[in-house]
Amino acid sequence: MNKFINSTENITAELLEGYTMAFADTVKLGAENIVVRTQPKGEDKVAIVAFGGSGHEPAVSGFVGEGMLDASVVGDIFAAPGAQRLFQALQMFKREAGILLLVLNHSGDVMSGNMAMQLAERAGIKVKSIMTHDDISAGLDAADEDRRGLAGAIPMYKILGAAAEQGKSLDELIEIGERFNKQVATLAVAMRACTHPQNGATITELPEGMMQIGMGQHGEAGQGGNEPLVSADATAEFMVGQLMKKLDLKGGDNVLLYINGVGSTTLMEQFIIYRAAAKKLAAAGVTVADGFAGELLTVQEQAGFQMILGKLDADHLDLLKNYKADAPYWKRFGK
Amino acid sequence: MSQKLTIADFQKMIRRALADVTARAGEFSELDAVIGDGDHGEAIVTALNAIAKVSEAADAAGKDFKTLLGDMGFGVMMETSGSTSTLLGGLLLGMSDGVPAGVSSLDSAQVKAMFGGGLAGVQKNTKAMPGDKTMMDALYPAVQAMQECASDDIVAVLDAGAAAAQQGAEATVQMKANFGRARNYGEKSVGHADSGASSWACMFGAFAKAIQA
Repeated sequence: MNKFINSTENITAELLEGYTMAFADTVKLGAENIVVRTQPKGEDKVAIVAFGGSGHEPAVSGFVGEGMLDASVVGDIFAAPGAQRLFQALQMFKREAGILLLVLNHSGDVMSGNMAMQLAERAGIKVKSIMTHDDISAGLDAADEDRRGLAGAIPMYKILGAAAEQGKSLDELIEIGERFNKQVATLAVAMRACTHPQNGATITELPEGMMQIGMGQHGEAGQGGNEPLVSADATAEFMVGQLMKKLDLKGGDNVLLYINGVGSTTLMEQFIIYRAAAKKLAAAGVTVADGFAGELLTVQEQAGFQMILGKLDADHLDLLKNYKADAPYWKRFGK
Repeated sequence: MSQKLTIADFQKMIRRALADVTARAGEFSELDAVIGDGDHGEAIVTALNAIAKVSEAADAAGKDFKTLLGDMGFGVMMETSGSTSTLLGGLLLGMSDGVPAGVSSLDSAQVKAMFGGGLAGVQKNTKAMPGDKTMMDALYPAVQAMQECASDDIVAVLDAGAAAAQQGAEATVQMKANFGRARNYGEKSVGHADSGASSWACMFGAFAKAIQA
């Protein structure tokens, strides 16, 4: 796969430099591989820090900004940042109100996050964490620790970012976040695999005309195996049906429905998928209170998308819709 | 017969662990190459060097056990990254948690509690269980054997740990990898010892030898 890159070792540093140049009003590099707001939030409020490997742009750094994250800590391509880098970020945001560290459930991320928390605890830094695990491909009754963290983390950033900006305490944020964590579910589908930008390796083979439901965000295989590609409507209806089952939705429930294109699926396709999923929800009497289609968390040139469905309590809906967000890749005017 | 473990003794244990693991680093990398990326020897030597740097520093002899162990855990975490240093960092931070503040020598009950804390510290960082073909197959039985050792001779306690770790590492030859990425190799992993179990057994062996010598 040809890409517009220079030396493969410099991809992460160069993309972060370019990103912070492009959005210089909003974000800057606070230290190597640590993206922060140009206008920091008051020290009296809880800071929210998220992290992950690069190669998934705009995630995670695209969501640093007012009403969203305070910082993102970036690892190498598809690899979690080390615990020392995370600890450095926690030191930068040390405050009495505390820090909320958001961890996507992938073994490398969890290990770095755990270790950084242990180091922080010894250094007298107040920090708590939430681990997101929205992927349902391991099965509808799979244990939380067996479910990967996918793009369902992004509405979590918005909800918690707004709540932190309102001055909620660390314990209140944990309660709001863990409640949303139980009510958000994501399912991914891929129809063309991606290559690793540094070594060029194809991560999972996907023959022409086949798709795989449940594929992870590094292109790793899910549990379903390859199956013949079917229409957009059939794909969307199957996927939203699984997500509705997982969340046990009933008529009158409010939900968010986001389609996250993972790299080379067009917006045209994403809208056609969105239409089918939203219609199925409407037919069940479920209200889609917040919607989105576009790229949030990508996997290089993989073709496919993640469908994110979240059941919203009244406070979640309020925090999603009624407060300002001003990150380069997530903007809301608020009320 | 040794009834007290001093800071100087512990510094000797770390020195010996670094020397013995370094001498066998190539072997640990070859074992890792069977089901992993073949860099375990290098990774554990790098991590032990970061630990030794703290224990050999000029101010080390003046610290109590709790501080020295905590600083060693911090040192390995801050200087290196990856799973090997995370697990060793967890071991040392846990060992620090397992000893009382302000003491610079430990009796056998305190040595047992120190290693018990170490196991708990590692378990904060991995869910691997004995039988999964990981370093836990050396660490878990080593710490168990130390707790069960009835002697109040510290040499006997460390010997019991070393023997159990070695036995545990040898038992991984017959095991199928059941943890992390290595799990995908399934049957291919049978017939070779686990690299992490082997290197940790080497480390526990070195701890015992350092005190006898």
